[in-house]
Amino acid sequence: MIALTSPYLWYTTRATGLVTLVLFTLVVSLGTLVANRVGGTAVGRFELNELHRTIAAVACAFLAIHVVTTVIDSYVSTGPLAAVVPFVSSYKRLPVALGTIALDLMLAVWASSLLKARIANASWRFIHWFSWLAFAIAVVHALLAGTDARSGIGLAVVIVCVAVVAGAGAWRFAARPTRAAGRTALSPLGGEPERASRPVPRRSEPTARPAPSADGPQRAAPAFPRRPRPGRSR
Amino acid sequence: MGVRRRVGGFVLLVNPILCDGFGHCAELAPDLVHVDEWGYPIIVTEPVALANLAALESARYAVRGCPRQALRIERVHDAH
Ligand code: SF4
Repeated sequence: MIALTSPYLWYTTRATGLVTLVLFTLVVSLGTLVANRVGGTAVGRFELNELHRTIAAVACAFLAIHVVTTVIDSYVSTGPLAAVVPFVSSYKRLPVALGTIALDLMLAVWASSLLKARIANASWRFIHWFSWLAFAIAVVHALLAGTDARSGIGLAVVIVCVAVVAGAGAWRFAARPTRAAGRTALSPLGGEPERASRPVPRRSEPTARPAPSADGPQRAAPAFPRRPRPGRSR
Repeated sequence: MGVRRRVGGFVLLVNPILCDGFGHCAELAPDLVHVDEWGYPIIVTEPVALANLAALESARYAVRGCPRQALRIERVHDAH
């Protein structure tokens, strides 16, 4: 392999590693907000979901830079295989392996999300739980392998990220949302300002909101039987 | 072949088994989806003309935005 080394590669690895951690903290927190049905008044639920998806893509890009700069920096020999196969790096075998395992878990989450329309939703949800494990392993990786994570600002950032994600996790398990908490009021595609304050339509009462245009949808009977689902738990 | 006319219509269908009442569809397609008292969607059953591009676009957003992949768009030919 060509000897390619520069302190800038090392700086990039360190910086993108820390940024990746912060971004995934945001992604996990936003995902928790979506799962716990936050939003619908000041911010739309779909908006939180879009943010979650978009920041996840950005975080994956930073993760890719972090991995590529580590691999091509020949100052320490990790080797390209170590990027995806754990325990093959000759440099810092265990800390690098932890990063590799976290990366593999994130790749699984990413791939399953790309294939979301093709795979069973239960599979996608199961694979999505991997992200918590990946985050935990990545934090240990940051503390063991990281140049900056053991002191000063780096350590402070890691502590804040861990606290935020731990809080999100506790909330995720404690909240156990059972329903969507009624209607939401936000839509990017036209809407009526009074919709937020409109009463929720009663069961047998046809909704009387005017159709958006002459050939627009007409109100009709519900698409499926509207049985009450009291306390439906997930 | 010629120009393909936007004839016919579509309905947005929800799979109530998959749906967990996230309500994203009601935000993304407010003219097609209502939310009941428990937060579950009630979807307009009348077919909407495919020519109603705004409605079709909002339905596509709803399908994409549903966290449970519970929605799909079905084409019907007897649109009014
Ligand atoms: S977005 Fe999907 S899960 Fe949420 S209420 Fe609509 S159909 Fe159900």
